Amino acid sequence: MRIKSLLILFITGLFAAGLLSCGGKKGRNATISGAFALYPLGVKWTEQYKAVNPGLRFDVSAGGAGKGLTDVLAGAADVAMFSRQLTDAEKKKDIWVFAVAKDAVLPTFSRHNPDAALIRKKGLTEAQLKDVYLSGKNNISWGALLDTSGTHNVVVYTRSDAAGAADTWAAYFGGKQENIKGTGIYGDPGLAEAVGKDANGVGFNNVAYVYDITTGKKRPGIDVIPIDRNGNRQIDPGEDFYENADSILQAISDGRYPSPPARDLYFITKGKPTDPDIIGFLKWVLTDGQKYVKTAGYVPLTDAVIKEQLQKLQ
Amino acid sequence: MVALQRLIIPSKWADRISDGWLNIAVLFLILLPLVIGTGLVIKSLPLLEKVPLGAMLSSSDWSPQQGHFGFFAFIMGSVWVTLLSFVLSAPVCLLSAIYLTEYSPAWLTQAMYFVIDVLAGIPSVVYGVWGVLVVVPLLADYVAPALGLTTTGYCLLSGGIVLAIMAVPYMLNMLMEVLRSVPIELKEASLSLGATYWETIKWIVLRKGLTGIIAALSLGVSKALGETIAVLMVVGNISKVPSSVFDGAYPLPALIANNYGDMMSVPLYDSALMFAALILFVIILLFNSITNIFLYRIKEV
Repeated sequence: MRIKSLLILFITGLFAAGLLSCGGKKGRNATISGAFALYPLGVKWTEQYKAVNPGLRFDVSAGGAGKGLTDVLAGAADVAMFSRQLTDAEKKKDIWVFAVAKDAVLPTFSRHNPDAALIRKKGLTEAQLKDVYLSGKNNISWGALLDTSGTHNVVVYTRSDAAGAADTWAAYFGGKQENIKGTGIYGDPGLAEAVGKDANGVGFNNVAYVYDITTGKKRPGIDVIPIDRNGNRQIDPGEDFYENADSILQAISDGRYPSPPARDLYFITKGKPTDPDIIGFLKWVLTDGQKYVKTAGYVPLTDAVIKEQLQKLQ
Repeated sequence: MVALQRLIIPSKWADRISDGWLNIAVLFLILLPLVIGTGLVIKSLPLLEKVPLGAMLSSSDWSPQQGHFGFFAFIMGSVWVTLLSFVLSAPVCLLSAIYLTEYSPAWLTQAMYFVIDVLAGIPSVVYGVWGVLVVVPLLADYVAPALGLTTTGYCLLSGGIVLAIMAVPYMLNMLMEVLRSVPIELKEASLSLGATYWETIKWIVLRKGLTGIIAALSLGVSKALGETIAVLMVVGNISKVPSSVFDGAYPLPALIANNYGDMMSVPLYDSALMFAALILFVIILLFNSITNIFLYRIKEV
């Protein structure tokens, strides 16, 4: 009996302590939800912002761009992280879009490809890439792409889950994710793994998955297909910037890498933000927060774009 | 306490109240599928109003953002992957169950129960990862080349194999219970009439347990039909009607899991995913009804 009452006391005490720790702090709360592509940066930003603004607490969760948008429209989240273009139906809603950083989607191939050296030297033109990824033909040979006698056919891998990366890569050719025809693999890491294993495989990944951000080197297994933008069937010095994370981030930043597949990443709010906490956070992200962008593996916005975004907040 | 209860509520009333509660509980369970079905129909209506039902079910042209909603490839993907897993797992399970209940030493049966528990407890995402790491390369590097074919390994057969293994603990456990429940007197009678042991199993045990066996196998099929994450990791997710087991396929649950969440802000896409769920619901409803009718017939005979 005594043990029982002690136990009850203990549990009641725990419960009370839990309640106190939840309600005790007079903190304000901001909820952020949405794209996986922005999630690491979103976490970084909220951590840094909390250091200068201890009064504001954040809940950051990743569930996909569309989920973030739905949450914001339903009032379940204050800010959505968004990594693709809005569809026409989505544009009609009262949505405020703030560009906060840039990244890019890069076409990848397997390191095991016997023609790897030639692919790095010649690259593929936009028309060839479009044919490979969007046509749905499964008889395009590496030989035909690289003007050799190779007979192995290209095998296309794409994301099976709805993803901003796939949508952005398709947007390069004027399409949507559903237009990319290939074997669907779940998630960014899964796609990199599948392409790496298949010597004839091609796919695409976010910059942060192609390069290891801490070392700046390409991840094992996969390599980047250089894009031959002027179509002279060789990668000129001006088109050669895939060596490490720094060089590709620089190329995205100054526009040598085309956009799309380079893309803006957005924070989205329902209507013009009125909550001073949210406005304060968004302003900080666009000013002081930009210095954390590059270390997280993304490209900071240009001054002109930042000015434009800040004006929206006035 | 009991005295207090007697004092306040006469036992006749207490009876009625508890009766009412039981009825409500049962009614709630009966209504549950109806509520789920109705919810799915309401959510699918925006799509059903725009696109004719027949066209959606017979076409395999899937590009929702351009307004093409063809579910045929997904339905076929579901049907094929389920059938394949059934063909791979049902005979093995049935034969193992016979061996484990009729022939094997007691320690082996006991060990098998332990294995079944472990297999049933492994989360499906672990089966999926295992499929990607083991089954997919095995098919791509060894099995398909040996048959003179090429495949990425992300195909119908991978999905079928992973699903078959996942269905084993459920099927096997129930089959063993069914076979064990056949009265020993029946077997003794058969043996004493001169039947061999195998004849006894074939004509007495299996015949007597037939309804249970069918129920166990249909449980395995239902499990396979709705399984999601492990399948979508290995099956290739290509929205095309597969023409061989080495082609990629795209079952309905994978379609919903891949796009739900991210596509909820696109109105008709949202509705299309709900319709996919409705198709799955109807397939399971039909399948279970058919099994039930079949079982009812057997019992009548």
